[in-house]
This record gives sequence, structure tokens and C-alpha cells, in this order.
Amino acid sequence: MNSKEKILKRLAGDGMEPRPRPEMDFVPQRFADREQTFVERLEAGGGCAVRMEAGETLDEVIRRLYPEAKSIASTMDEVTSATINPDRVEDPRQLVDVDLGVVRGSFGVAENGAVWIAQEIRHKALYFGATALMIVIPREAIVDTMHEAVVRPEVDDFGYGCFVSGPSKTADIEQALVFGAHGPMSVTVVLR
Amino acid sequence: MSTHSKAAKRFVADAERLAWHDRALYAVREKRDRMMATVPEWEDLRRMASEIKLHTLSRLGDYLCEFERNATANGMQVHWAADAAEMNETVWELIRRHGGRRLVKSKSMLAEECGMTPYLEARGVETVESDLGERIMQLLHMPPSHIVLPAIAVRREEVGALFEREMGTEPGNSDPTYLTHAARRALRPKFLEADVSMTGVNFAVASTGALAVCTNEGNADLGTSFANLHIAIMGIEKVIPDMEALGVFTRLLARSGTGQPVTTYTSLYRRPAPGCEIHVILVDNGRSEWLADEAHRNMLKCLRCGACMNTCPVYRRSGGYSYSYFIPGPLGINLGMLRSPKRYHGNVSACSLCYSCSNVCPAMIDLGEQIYEWRQRLDTLGLADPMKKAAVKGLDFVMGGRRRFYGGIAMGRLAEKLPRAVLENGLNPWSTPGRAMPPFAPRSFNAWWKKEMKR
Repeated sequence: MNSKEKILKRLAGDGMEPRPRPEMDFVPQRFADREQTFVERLEAGGGCAVRMEAGETLDEVIRRLYPEAKSIASTMDEVTSATINPDRVEDPRQLVDVDLGVVRGSFGVAENGAVWIAQEIRHKALYFGATALMIVIPREAIVDTMHEAVVRPEVDDFGYGCFVSGPSKTADIEQALVFGAHGPMSVTVVLR
Repeated sequence: MSTHSKAAKRFVADAERLAWHDRALYAVREKRDRMMATVPEWEDLRRMASEIKLHTLSRLGDYLCEFERNATANGMQVHWAADAAEMNETVWELIRRHGGRRLVKSKSMLAEECGMTPYLEARGVETVESDLGERIMQLLHMPPSHIVLPAIAVRREEVGALFEREMGTEPGNSDPTYLTHAARRALRPKFLEADVSMTGVNFAVASTGALAVCTNEGNADLGTSFANLHIAIMGIEKVIPDMEALGVFTRLLARSGTGQPVTTYTSLYRRPAPGCEIHVILVDNGRSEWLADEAHRNMLKCLRCGACMNTCPVYRRSGGYSYSYFIPGPLGINLGMLRSPKRYHGNVSACSLCYSCSNVCPAMIDLGEQIYEWRQRLDTLGLADPMKKAAVKGLDFVMGGRRRFYGGIAMGRLAEKLPRAVLENGLNPWSTPGRAMPPFAPRSFNAWWKKEMKR
């Protein structure tokens, strides 16, 4: 008998009565102004939210927020200020410590300020290795809670995906909050 | 005296550290309370989490097979390990076949449980912890003292001295931001040079064959971004039915554990990237037997959030190293007893039965009630403390008769008049340094009652 069979046999003999799958019998919270709640909660977690002005371009937003950025990696056509096309890079290690990565996200979650990114670039290293990360999402694509988020079509078909709710952080030294543990030091979500 | 009380003496001796530890953890508990208050349906969520877990456990074999089917269809490779030894062997075999020498791993309590790191190090695999707290503990050659906050018992000056030695940081600089960024720089090459990455698993979604991994640092995801072999290890209880269930658990996990609305990163691994492999190891190591113990199977609902530790008055004031099992607090007391009552029963007294753990647990595990139940079992298991047994027998005799009872009280009043040195010494188990014996009330309730009734 192999280990799988052994484990399954032990589980079959656990004497536990079958229990039904519970139905969602309550209504999760909703927010009067989802966008506002999203922005507040993202910022509470150390992230930054920017609403694009009418007529503003992504390049202008990048210049406004990250004037110092020299190496900018993006596959987005509208980011003409990009200096690196991350999909043309063979070794993901080359994307580590670029000043800024600009990527597309699918939607935001109001209750926790998270953005769903389904990997659509070649190396996910950019999401975690860039010193600053800018995530662009459609302004109207914000859901109330994780209940709605996890059943969205964008969270149904992907290879790798991640809910990101701010910059990488830690409080492992005396509970003092520090941004930039291993991943990006700053995260900006652009609502356009 | 229990093994916990004995071990706690060292922690308690440093009053300043104890006070800091107590305050720091209670602050996390308060953050959790504030998060809870922002979710009106909090108690519904807890009930839902508990019921989903129980449902899953009642069909665990089916869900594991469903997960295996879907994960395999996604291109992952699934392995089963009956015990710790088999898990370690499977990990080693994968690394060996891959020609790996350098492993970068994110936090996994299962790896601790199985003694995996020493096993791999003995075979020449450099194993680097990438979570900052875990890395601090690894460099200190000490185990974590909390499952979510591994370095909670280490002070910033100690980290400063450690990093000065290990990373050449400025002498005397113990600023957390400075030290964290020094660790970031020091770990960069470890991430980039690793040829194998390992993560734990917070949730394995049966219906989609996806793995959910939650971190704040992003260390798990950075780790899996370079090496083309990713090994994910998980206890069999980590499987959940579907994405709807994931929605429920991700709302509870970080709010309960660290008082955040969600972890910074909640990653879903579904298909390996081109040219990469993901191997998932499903580990039993006792869990299928625990499931058969009706009084304690609830422990398998645990999300490993750590809320029970943060709230526990005994844990906060005695620290993780006072417990003989590698997981401390109410969770560890219970898991230790499931693992081996003989080896770990010294922890069951580390509980005031306040049941605060049961009230904060996001999966509604009756942790406190279970500790009480274990205490009731001690005598049957032949593990009851003979001193306590004798004391209970003696009290039973004294309280069994009216005259003996009032005689006992009179004796107590006399004993109270004895010099303090006679009363407050090691022979009196109720005496503790720094705490005076409470005085007897001037009159017994019975005497008071009789007098009042006459009026």
C-alpha cells in the first residue's frame, strides 16, 4: 500500500459523520462609496492611491510620482517612458531592483485595499523585485469584499495571480512597522 | 511543578522583557479587535469558517483527491507523505534529482514540525529562511517563539548585535528600519542564487487545484520568482473546497492574526510557469489519527493565525520557550497533546481556563475547553501529578465531613499566625516569590450567615 492509499484508508476510518456544506446565510457588508473605502484602506496599509485626472497620461502620472525613477519596466503600450520591456528580458534576475515597474491589475477590493493581479507579464519577478510598483486598474472595477473578489472571472483563469494590498512590509523587529522587507518599498494604485 | 512553570522561571526573571512581551502581544490582540469591529458580519464569518472546515474534514479524503486531480491537470505534481520522515525524504529526493544545493524558503510550521531544515542541512543543502523573523531566529540558532511573529521574544538591541556580527551593520545601531533594510540587502543574493524554492500553503483549493500563500513581506513570491523548482509543503487539513471558501478564510486570517484587513500578499499558484515545476507534498504525520479523536478533531480547523497566542494571558507572560512543544500557547498545548501526551502533558497546566482563545479563534475552535478535557484525561493516561492527586484526595477527606471541614478552617487560621518564612517557602505550592499569601477572612461565611439570620 502506498502512502496515498494509507492516508486515505486512515481518513475513511475516522468515524466522522458527513457534515453538509454550509450555505452563505448572511449578507456581507457593502460600502456606500466603494472607491473611497478602497483608497482609505489601501493607504492605511501603506499603499498610495491616485485618481487619474481627465486628459492626464500615465507617463505624466509616473513623472509626477516617481520623478527620480531612471529604470522603468513596463509592457503597457501607453507607458512610453518605459526603459525596459520586461518580456524581452531572458533572466528574471535582471528585473530585480529596477526603480519602477508599471503593471496592469484587474480590480480592487474595497474592504482591504487589495488589487488582483493575474500574471500577464513573462516574469512575475517584476512584481516583487521592483523598488516601486505602480498598478493600474479601471476606476469602476472595485468590489466590496473578498466574497465577490474570489469568484470574479479574472480569478478563475490564470497561472499565477496575487492580491496585493500595499508595499512589502514587516514588523518582525519589536513590532515596529517597516516598509520594503523584500518586495517593493512603495506601491501606487492608479485608478483610471 | 509542571515543565511549563519550571521553564517559565527564566522568562519571568527578566521583568522588563516580560512586560514588553505582554504589552506587544496584547497590542496585536487589540488591533484584531479593531479589525473585527469593522466587519458587522464577523460572527457569521467565524461560524461559516468553522462549518466549512468541519464539512471539509468530514470528507477530507474526497477533497484531497479532488485537489490532486485538479492540481495535476494544472501541471503541478502532487506527492503524499504519511509522516515527517517521508516528507523529508520526498523533499530531499526532489532537490537531489534537480541538482539543487541552495534552498530559499518562506515560513512553514510544517517544516519545523518535521525537522526538515536540519535534515536538509545534514545533506549539504543550504536552507535559508527568508521571512525576516524566521531569518533572525535562524541566525540566532533558536526556534521561533510564536508561529506568526517568530522573533517576538527578541529585542531590537539583540537583533542589532546579531546583524553587526552577521551582516556588518553599524555597531550599536538597532533602528528597526535600518536593520530590516540591511537584511533585505543581505538576503537579495540568497533569493537570486537559490536553485530551489519552498513555501508553505495557507489554503489549497480543491475545485481549482490552486495554492494560496499569504505573506506580508513578499518573501514567498520573490523566492519562487527565480529558481525553476518550487516545492510547496502542506498538512492535509489545509485543503478547502472552493474559491467561495477562500473568500471566507481570507477575510478572517489576517484580521485575526495581526489585525490587518488582509495580508499584503495573498498569492495563488495555479499553473507552473513555462520551464518551471511546482511539487506539492500532502503531509499526514498524525493528522488522520487526530481526526478520529472526536473530542479533539476540532484542532484540525486551525488556520494558524496565532490569535490564540496573542490573547493568552499565560503565553503573553511566559513566552514561547516555556512550552515543551514547538508550537506554544493554547494551540501548542493542544497539538502537543495530540502528538504525544506522555512527552507534552507538562503544558496543559499553562492555562487559566479563561477561554479567551476560544472566543478569538476565527474557526471557533474550543481551544480552552479542549485543554480542560485533556486535564480530565491525565489520570486515565497515567500522567496525573502525584502531588496534586494526593492533595485532592486529602481535600476530599477534609471536605467530606462537617467536623473535619471546620476543623481544617480552624487549623488554617492557626497556620496563618506562623512566621512568614514558614509559610512562604518552596514547600508550600501556593506560595510564590513576590506574592504574599492572602489573609483568611475574619469570619467564615457560615458563621456570618448564622449571626445575620438570628437578627
